Amino acid sequence: MIALYRPGTSLLHRTPAGLKVVLFMLVSLAITVAGSTPWALPLALVFVIVGYLLAGFGARELARQVFAVRWLVLFMLVAQIIFLPPLVAVGNAARVLAVVVLAALITLTTRIPALLDAIDRALRPLRRVGVNSAAVGLLLAMTITTIPVIAGFAATIREAQRARGAKLRLATFAVPLLVMSLKHSDDLADALAARGVE
Amino acid sequence: MAPAQAAQSQPQSPSEIFLDAVSVAFGDRHALSRVSVTLNHRRIGVIGSNGSGKSTFARLLNGLVTPTSGTLRVSGLNPVTEAKEIRRRVGFIFSNPDAQIVMPTVAEDVAFTLRGRGYTRAEIAVRVTATLERYGLAAHADAPAHNLSGGQKQLLALSAILVGEPQILVADEPTALLDAANTRRIGNYLLDELPQQLVLVTHDLALAARCDHVLRFSEGRLVDQGHPAAVIDRYANAVEHG
Ligand SMILES: Nc1ncnc2c1ncn2[C@@H]1O[C@H](COP(=O)(O)OP(=O)(O)OP(=O)(O)O)[C@@H](O)[C@H]1O
Ligand SMILES: [Mg+2]
Repeated sequence: MIALYRPGTSLLHRTPAGLKVVLFMLVSLAITVAGSTPWALPLALVFVIVGYLLAGFGARELARQVFAVRWLVLFMLVAQIIFLPPLVAVGNAARVLAVVVLAALITLTTRIPALLDAIDRALRPLRRVGVNSAAVGLLLAMTITTIPVIAGFAATIREAQRARGAKLRLATFAVPLLVMSLKHSDDLADALAARGVE
Repeated sequence: MAPAQAAQSQPQSPSEIFLDAVSVAFGDRHALSRVSVTLNHRRIGVIGSNGSGKSTFARLLNGLVTPTSGTLRVSGLNPVTEAKEIRRRVGFIFSNPDAQIVMPTVAEDVAFTLRGRGYTRAEIAVRVTATLERYGLAAHADAPAHNLSGGQKQLLALSAILVGEPQILVADEPTALLDAANTRRIGNYLLDELPQQLVLVTHDLALAARCDHVLRFSEGRLVDQGHPAAVIDRYANAVEHG
């Protein structure tokens, strides 16, 4: 679900991580705020496409990133269509999609340590109100690392249940998943401590 | 880079591990009872049955566990009060390779160890590349760490610790989850090539036999120590005759 760095030499790869993060924040903000204006969506679309072209990825990668978040978008669409006029619901989902796909563009073209440094610097002013900017960055990186591990647990549990012919039930699935995830986070905390992270 | 290379390839003189009447209790359960020992061997094996206190002993050495009573010194340092320095000097690897990977890609995870140590980015890159080459992971530098095999993940865990050039490596059953080929690979590396002093907790008696000195724990007590063959023999006997 979260795109990993793809080595390259494109303009976007060479742009400093900090600049990319700031640009991304501005564009996301614009897409969110300018939501109801009719030109916002086509403009966002152009921005996304130009971005992927600049990074040297093209339509194929863009399609792949869109495909990766299909469930999230679908879920949003369904949840909103109950309460909102269809056109508005579609517009909202499209805007979220644009932001997510742009975020993927950043992780695709930026190494995580550079990204962490950039986030650290961007959040540094918040230190005065007690935000540990380095910890936020580390948390983000570890989340990216951990998602496939947890997904692996889920697959293991499903397989074990299938092997015994059990039907998929929330309790028999969620409880072992929670137990495995907690055990994993315990082990990870030990490893972090052993590597000198407080 | 040259001094670092030299330091890596030459065996380092072992530092002293000193325990005097060290006990560790979790609630009213004694994981270690009054353990006293002085160790200055290059490769120290730790054996004993499940729950005998091996991991607790290993974890004491880099401050992951705190003694309830007694005196503990590793290389002259107190792992409790000098935890930060201890964690630079004492590297630790666990059984489960998955739970040791912190960063998304192989190179990033190795680089993570060197953050905040005052190296420039270029220096970090050089050290990371050299380490990945040494452990045969260079081709996977930018690959998601999650996609490596179990054996490769354990090599990654090892690389990520050794890039920081600790003086001592503590390994708690590092081969427990590996197949025979990878057990041999990691075991050979740790016992034959590692320049650092090694504390190896293992149920694999063939690995323990290749150490210089072996400790045996039983129910939280250090019940035997000495020459590997002799200690392993007495352990086998004890298991046989209850
Ligand atoms: N964090 C903890 N909380 C409570 N009890 C613990 C904790 N860690 C260890 N123990 C207990 O301390 C005793 C020694 O455990 P330890 O993990 O050191 O054994 P071990 O020799 O490593 O066993 P194994 O071979 O199964 O890994 C056990 O009885 C265990 O249940
Ligand atoms: Mg253990």
